[in-house]
Amino acid sequence: MINLAQKEIAHTFGKFIVTAMGVGMLLGIVLIMIGVYRGMLVDAQALLDDMDVDLWIVQENTLGPFAESSRIHEDMRDTIKVIDGIKESAGFTFQNLQLPSKSGAVRVFAVGYDPYGDINPINPKRLIAGRVLQRDHYEMVVTDKTAFQLNDKIPLGRDIYTVVGITHGTVSSGGDPLVYVSLKDAQELQFLYSNARTRNDRARGIASTNSHMINTVVARVRSGYDIDSVANDIRRFKHKAVFTATQEKTLLTKNLIKMASKQIGMFTVILVLVSTIIIALIIYTMTLEKMKEIAIMKLIGIPNSMIVKMIVQETLLMGVLAFISGNIFAHLIYTKFPKRVVLEAPDAFMLFIVVVLASILASFVGVKKVLSADPAEAIGG
Amino acid sequence: MNRQSIKVENLVKNFGKGDSLVEVINGASFEVNKGELVALIAPSGAGKTTLLMMIGCVEEPTSGTIWLGDEKVYENRWLTKETRKIRREKIGFIFQAHYLIPFLNILENVTLVPQTNGVSKKESEAFARELLDYFDIEDKAESMPSSLSGGQNQRAAIARALANKPQIILADEPTAALDLKRSVDVVKMLKKIALDQDVAIIMVTHDEAMLPLCDRILKIENKKVVSTEVPKKSHIL
Ligand SMILES: Nc1ncnc2c1ncn2[C@@H]1O[C@H](COP(=O)(O)OP(=O)(O)O)[C@@H](O)[C@H]1O
Ligand SMILES: [Mg+2]
Repeated sequence: MINLAQKEIAHTFGKFIVTAMGVGMLLGIVLIMIGVYRGMLVDAQALLDDMDVDLWIVQENTLGPFAESSRIHEDMRDTIKVIDGIKESAGFTFQNLQLPSKSGAVRVFAVGYDPYGDINPINPKRLIAGRVLQRDHYEMVVTDKTAFQLNDKIPLGRDIYTVVGITHGTVSSGGDPLVYVSLKDAQELQFLYSNARTRNDRARGIASTNSHMINTVVARVRSGYDIDSVANDIRRFKHKAVFTATQEKTLLTKNLIKMASKQIGMFTVILVLVSTIIIALIIYTMTLEKMKEIAIMKLIGIPNSMIVKMIVQETLLMGVLAFISGNIFAHLIYTKFPKRVVLEAPDAFMLFIVVVLASILASFVGVKKVLSADPAEAIGG
Repeated sequence: MNRQSIKVENLVKNFGKGDSLVEVINGASFEVNKGELVALIAPSGAGKTTLLMMIGCVEEPTSGTIWLGDEKVYENRWLTKETRKIRREKIGFIFQAHYLIPFLNILENVTLVPQTNGVSKKESEAFARELLDYFDIEDKAESMPSSLSGGQNQRAAIARALANKPQIILADEPTAALDLKRSVDVVKMLKKIALDQDVAIIMVTHDEAMLPLCDRILKIENKKVVSTEVPKKSHIL
């Protein structure tokens, strides 16, 4: 039996392909949008995964250190360390900085850690050049996205820092590139006032505040101890908020990017709707262009089923081709985006299902038109 | 053996309703026999196409009776839901324009209806090639209609009308777009088909030169159909 869809597409091949590619670009954008969301999830966890700690101890009644600001005394690290069940603990600071560079300020997220402490937040697998921090002062490890090179000098606050190491793929939960500085430097940057401010405060009778503060203490629990019960002990006796690794991950993925994911979800839904409408419009006009032939086919006795089959097959093929070119398009451009875009097969598969359903829906408008065609019209005019 | 292939009784066709009602055919009765090539003539707008489309089960009459072969297909209503099945199995259509499907090549155009009727690809193609050979366009079998001349396409369209081995051929001004020589060729061809295949053919024409080649003339007069003898062959033929 002659396959009408195949013949018709072969006849208008170029037009068909170009149209499918156009729709494909829309679908490609849908894939990228989903990829941006996946990227946010991955980014949100990158630092947590690199630090690989069991407990986050932060200021009481806060959701720190990322979701809310948190301040605790530096010596809390030692207090925590001697608690039964704690293996290692370290103090950390986190803050946003603008690093001056030739091409303007670079916004980064700075992790302050003690180079001699128990916990090193730099995943050795991500260190692609240089080394981790080895001194207490004026050294910085940066991620490659910042475009700084080894041995670059970066003036910051009162001091000049030297880039000693480069990492790859390290970002904050917000997607900003990470830099690492020593805890002491970070404390000065975050908690130390300028000389003028200090003088001013003294004149007002305010004692100079100490900079021995940190944002969080992180700890690893000895094997054999239950993480949750250790966390409970700290909550009860030290009056601090404590989050386990899973809780902290939830804070970052669920709470922090909830709005962003809703935003992207809306975009995705709208884009899918628009794609459906566009496929429907294309199929409708493609059917309109064929009305004469359809009327002739009806006139010479071709049953509706064959004509409808032609329309449905063409629509499905259009959808599948658009899906394929959308995937190619997405894979060609996704690395060009400033923030991480993660394309995952299950998402593409979901979209495929949606596209097939949308195509079937879209073909209805064409089929309706087919059924309404009057064979007597074929010879009119 | 029953010789009559088309039999129409008291056929009525009105368009519209009430004030805008147009009577086109009012009480037409006639027969066309197997092997007969009958010309249908009448002034423009008299209802020739409408009559042909009613016999072809395309346009629904208002009332009356239509037999195609031994089958009564209409008696004040269609007697089958599948008028399209009657069309593709019993009838071949030819028009002024070729109305070939532009995205099918000539062979596919000719085999589409027989294949829809369940004839195998091999068998339908063999017969189609025979027809194309008969019409001298066998070498165009794989070509698209857009690459053929008007005359070649018209012959392909006639081949398509024959491909389902119809009992009836309904031709609406098939020669209107052709020059005299080609027109004569086509009508002679139709006459030969009528005889060879024992087909009843009704051909609408405006061309009086074609009439002597036909067996009989049906005229639409006063919304009825009257049958007359053909004139003597004119000198040009
Ligand atoms: N669908 C229709 N609706 C209303 N009037 C129609 C329709 N089709 C044909 N007619 C009218 O029927 C008459 C006969 O038309 P037609 O059969 O095409 O004439 P012919 O083929 O003899 O030139 C004309 O007056 C035409 O206006
Ligand atoms: Mg007409």
